Amino acid sequence: MKVYIPSHLKKIRDVKTTPTELIAFEEKVAEHYENGSIRGPIHLAKNNEEHLIQIFKYIDKEDWVFVPWRNHYQAILHGVSKDKLFKSICEGNSMHTNNISPNFYSSSIVGGIIPLAVGVAMALKRKNLNKKVWCFVGDMTMETGGFYEAYKYCKNFDLPLEWVIEDNNMSVHTPTIMAWSKKQEIPDDVIYYEYTMGYPHHGTGKWVNF
Amino acid sequence: MKYKEELIKAMNWLGEKEDVLFLGQACKVSGHSISSTITDVPQERRIELPVFEEMQLGMSTGLALEGFTTVTIYPRFDFFILACNQLVNHLDKMQEMSKGDMRPRVIIRVSVGSKQPLDAGPQHTQNHTEAFRKMLTNVNVIELLEPEQIFPAFKEAYEREDNRPTLIVEHGEFYVTK
Repeated sequence: MKVYIPSHLKKIRDVKTTPTELIAFEEKVAEHYENGSIRGPIHLAKNNEEHLIQIFKYIDKEDWVFVPWRNHYQAILHGVSKDKLFKSICEGNSMHTNNISPNFYSSSIVGGIIPLAVGVAMALKRKNLNKKVWCFVGDMTMETGGFYEAYKYCKNFDLPLEWVIEDNNMSVHTPTIMAWSKKQEIPDDVIYYEYTMGYPHHGTGKWVNF
Repeated sequence: MKYKEELIKAMNWLGEKEDVLFLGQACKVSGHSISSTITDVPQERRIELPVFEEMQLGMSTGLALEGFTTVTIYPRFDFFILACNQLVNHLDKMQEMSKGDMRPRVIIRVSVGSKQPLDAGPQHTQNHTEAFRKMLTNVNVIELLEPEQIFPAFKEAYEREDNRPTLIVEHGEFYVTK
């Protein structure tokens, strides 16, 4: 397990959640999905537990966290109640874990969180708050123009936004390297890690009769 | 009561509010008809942005998530449609997706380009007001056809307690004809 952490970041949080607890949560969601009691798409995580636990040691509980559709691990690690999260997932909202406390927003649109994250970062700076925004994006999203204009804007205006690139070399079912031929170089001021997906893009891999 | 004068009056009223920020191109500098209505708004409340329409609306929403009220400016409807993703998939759905926890107050100013005395052509004069009314479920859409509509529309957009975002469509042609 290897996570690249830029040198300007410092550990500030004691993360007590264990990989076993994260895995158990997703297995519980998977079980309920397979028995037909979750009537909405689910995007489960697996194999990146230790990476995320390490990353959240740098994220303050007051910070804003923006995450794409696969967001359960990040939500738990940022302090969203597991019970509240599970209830929301059972109501079909797996992709939309949107809480104001803790500050957490997820979206099912590729790259859709990026402009929102930039705006929140601008607000924090204007208000002189000692808080940050953390924006998690996948490797395919990192290749988009939207990422680059946001990355450039934040850097030029010194906005308090940290990027986390989660590289599973996959966009739904399309391998990023196949679609783009090669990948861009990873900037040295972003967090970056690679992992192999433990679940399919959507669902659990088993056919479910609803 | 003149169309442009009412727009200036509404912007000056909003410009007095501590929480209001104005964003867009030609926001701090002159450049288009909307620019000419915010010249009395304090410079520190105006944020000049690059050309990135979708980013602009997302940033306006993000600022509003942290308590600002944003007046985000698009000088042509033709340009505003590049922000459709942030409008339809995010700003319009945010209250529903957060069960009411997230209610950013965003006021969008969009202008329909004029055809008189110069016809700016098919990419500068489109009016998609009705199409957006059909697409949007939470964003309130208002088309300013008469001067007397203007100040009440912006006042309600700022003061409404449900914080529903508002898309306010104006007509460049009416700056001189009404």
